[in-house]
Amino acid sequence: MGYEISLLTVMGISIIGSLSLNLITGFCGQVSLGHAAFVGIGAYTASLLTKADTSFFIALLAGTLLAGTFGVMVGLASLRVRHDFLAITTMGVNFVFLGVVRQQEWLGGELGVSSIPDTGLGKLGFLALVLGSVILVALLSLQIRRSWMGYVFEAISEDEDTARMLGLDVSRYKLIAFALGTALAGLSGGLYAHHVRFIFPDSFAFVESITLLAMVVIGGNGSIIGVIIASALLSVLPQWFQFIGDYKLLLYGSLLFIVMRFSPGGLSGLTQSLFPKSKNSFALKENQ
Amino acid sequence: MLFLELFLQGIIQGSIYALFAVGLTLVYGLLRILHVAHAGLYTLGGYFGVLVFNSSGSLILGGFVAVLGVGFLGIIIYRLCYEPILNQPPYVPLIASIGLFIAMEELYRILFGSYGVTYTNPPLQEMLPLAGFYLRQGEWVTILVSIVLIGGLTWLSSRTKLGLAWRATVTDPQMAESFGIDPIRVRYFNFFIGSALAGSAGMIVGILNNLVEPTMGSIPSYKALAIIVLGGLGSVRGTLVAALALGVVESYGTIYLGNVLNRDAIAFVFLIIVLMIRPQGMFRGV
Amino acid sequence: MRLKNILSLILVLFMFLGIAWADTVKVGFNVPLTGFAAADGKSALNGAKLAVKQANETGGINGEKIELVIYDDQASPKEAVPIANRLIEKDGVKVAVSGSYSGSTRAAAGIFQSAGIPYISAYAIHPDITRSGNYVFRTSFMGEVQGRAGALLIGQTMQHKRVVVITLKNDFGKSLAAGFKAEASNFGIKIVNEYEYSIGDRQFGPIVAKVRADKPDAIYASGYFFTAGPLVNQLRSGGVDVPVIGQEGYDGEQFIKIAGAFAEGVIITTSLDRDSNSPIARSFISEYEEFSGNKVDMVSASTHTALKVVVSALRKAGTNNPDAIRKAITQTQLNAATGKISFNKLGEVRKNVEVQIVKDGDWHYHSTIRDQTLLAPPES
Repeated sequence: MGYEISLLTVMGISIIGSLSLNLITGFCGQVSLGHAAFVGIGAYTASLLTKADTSFFIALLAGTLLAGTFGVMVGLASLRVRHDFLAITTMGVNFVFLGVVRQQEWLGGELGVSSIPDTGLGKLGFLALVLGSVILVALLSLQIRRSWMGYVFEAISEDEDTARMLGLDVSRYKLIAFALGTALAGLSGGLYAHHVRFIFPDSFAFVESITLLAMVVIGGNGSIIGVIIASALLSVLPQWFQFIGDYKLLLYGSLLFIVMRFSPGGLSGLTQSLFPKSKNSFALKENQ
Repeated sequence: MLFLELFLQGIIQGSIYALFAVGLTLVYGLLRILHVAHAGLYTLGGYFGVLVFNSSGSLILGGFVAVLGVGFLGIIIYRLCYEPILNQPPYVPLIASIGLFIAMEELYRILFGSYGVTYTNPPLQEMLPLAGFYLRQGEWVTILVSIVLIGGLTWLSSRTKLGLAWRATVTDPQMAESFGIDPIRVRYFNFFIGSALAGSAGMIVGILNNLVEPTMGSIPSYKALAIIVLGGLGSVRGTLVAALALGVVESYGTIYLGNVLNRDAIAFVFLIIVLMIRPQGMFRGV
Repeated sequence: MRLKNILSLILVLFMFLGIAWADTVKVGFNVPLTGFAAADGKSALNGAKLAVKQANETGGINGEKIELVIYDDQASPKEAVPIANRLIEKDGVKVAVSGSYSGSTRAAAGIFQSAGIPYISAYAIHPDITRSGNYVFRTSFMGEVQGRAGALLIGQTMQHKRVVVITLKNDFGKSLAAGFKAEASNFGIKIVNEYEYSIGDRQFGPIVAKVRADKPDAIYASGYFFTAGPLVNQLRSGGVDVPVIGQEGYDGEQFIKIAGAFAEGVIITTSLDRDSNSPIARSFISEYEEFSGNKVDMVSASTHTALKVVVSALRKAGTNNPDAIRKAITQTQLNAATGKISFNKLGEVRKNVEVQIVKDGDWHYHSTIRDQTLLAPPES
């Protein structure tokens, strides 16, 4: 069972990561190409704390909070720059994070942080924690979507200037989106660190940010169910496709391309076109 | 003297960045797409150059194939990949482009091997001291080729009908179309030129390193995004300045800041600082 | 239609696996077959496959054939964890080898240690890999150890005193530099300057210009063939003629291809002696070239050795008891292509450092470093 448990754990952690990005990019329309940095902040914080004998749950919380704090700072940047500029600035954040971590010996430098302590929960217990977190994050997303905050996010996503003209405090809500999204990313990072029990800068490279964004976009930007399914599939795809061996990445790249080319609304867009009558509260807003 | 040498090295690196980034900003200026797969064309230019040279012995032929072949492939990529999804939200062509780039890198690895390809008789390797600077022939050629190609591009855009049509379309697509300019032809031209420049950059890098690898486009792919933003998205002049500036900053940075930040991070710190001061980039783009 | 084809392919594969299950001894093997590390993965896979083939041709394990259970981990810790679990549970391996980089090996090592399955790192460099526990071993040098050897080589054997260090910014390069710097003064070396570069860099113009101004007696540069090749090329064309000393990251024909004529005279600390008279090494070198179509390199040699250690342990301890296999590994006294192999308490390998030099376009014998006190890896 250990194999299946580890697969599900990896899946769950990926889902939390992509749902957190979904808040920023899917709901609020702020493209972030540096999300892995916040996963990394959560991972490093939590693991350095548990290595210093802090309780696991406190360490996890600390990682979440610290990631969210940095997220607010990046969110402040999003008030200055928009759209493509923002995307590339967030990409820059990813690289600066990596650059800093690589040079700091107390963060492990190039060698990373190893021998991260066992949480004591056991494999099944840890999986339960991860799945529980997935459910919480999904419910949180659902709640946000239904609330006033969700309405403002969507308005900002559709047309920021109009939203501002309508009197909505765009800046404040953008910051909230970043704070929440990055904090939850930190949560997924802390969980990741204690699952794999070894982290180093390459674990949070730019390619990981792309992967998270791909999960959100393939799920169907904004659709909670879509993002969950897309993350679940994409995260364990390499394992399922082991028998393809040499062609695995080729397939992955082609898949990304084909989905975007032929079904830009992602999975959720696909189901929308196949079952136009189903009115899901999870359904994504139409393509602009 | 060292100071000047480092500056010159920065210009060389900056020229390569420029050849690559100009194509990227051309695509953005016209279509608002972040064309990440551009890096895959750059790599292909490297492969065309080395494979043609290794089988024919002619660098000139290699150059032609690299530039023209990649240019045409750029048009094909536009037709097959971007044209159908032009009216989608911007992250759609971005992810599609990234997927395409990953697929291209893997294809190169599967077709040409993971070890990369080297020149059997590497050209332009010898030192050519000029004006007291000890650069290799290949490095002088890099500067020369960049000046020629980008100069050619400037001439094309300001002195020919096609160039005029192109600039008109970039500035105001609807107006241009109402004047009878065919937007499709302009786009083909745009992708051709941009990709051809990238192909030339790839070939040059292949010669300078004597190594063409499947993943050689990875770093330029995202660094060039920083460059075009720095330059002001869509502004060719801005991109040129930003590319050269970045090359020089990196050159000094590797030596004097090497133990503070690595090279890639330097580029992005530079970017973030500039953007916080001037959110539209150094020059006004589109 | 396509899905049905894939499904039937899977079915057939499972059938084959089922048939194979009964009569073979499975050895787990994680290796990067795709992604940025695919080049080394290919070498590692070929080295491993050759070792298995050779073992099967000489009776297998007491009559049973050995089967390598191969999974692509893309050199990623995230992928390595499920792979380790899969090897242990689904494939039921009693011993495994890592043909992959440090990140994935370190992550997998924890899993194998907890499950009590012996795990050998063929060439991954991270010091903490063997610290995962007594079930984890390494058949290649730790970075620090090799770095110390480099200091002896440059300061004592070659008598160069003013050295510029060029360091690759990753775990490999940094640990080499750390080992070098720790011993440098003991051999009279003054480090004039140190420059760092990233694994993606191929253009070293600024560093070359600076080194030319530094005028050192020798250069100690860490890297892999795809960085060292361009670096040496650019140093030499840039007019820097002083000796360049590298390490096993250079070890392979690719370095010589890239640096071309400029590779002449480059010296490295490594594990494989191309001019060796030992029949094991000679047969490895010729058979590898025939088997894979490529010339040997350090990664393939180290992985070959790791598999040989496994085979030897299996032959001694039988195929069913991981504890017995582990014990047999600790008692290894093996002649492999990379030298006489034995392990210390931590599971780190003890062997001599071979120094090779590029002469007439190929790697050749330069010297051997036998100082076991200097080369002693940590015990814990």
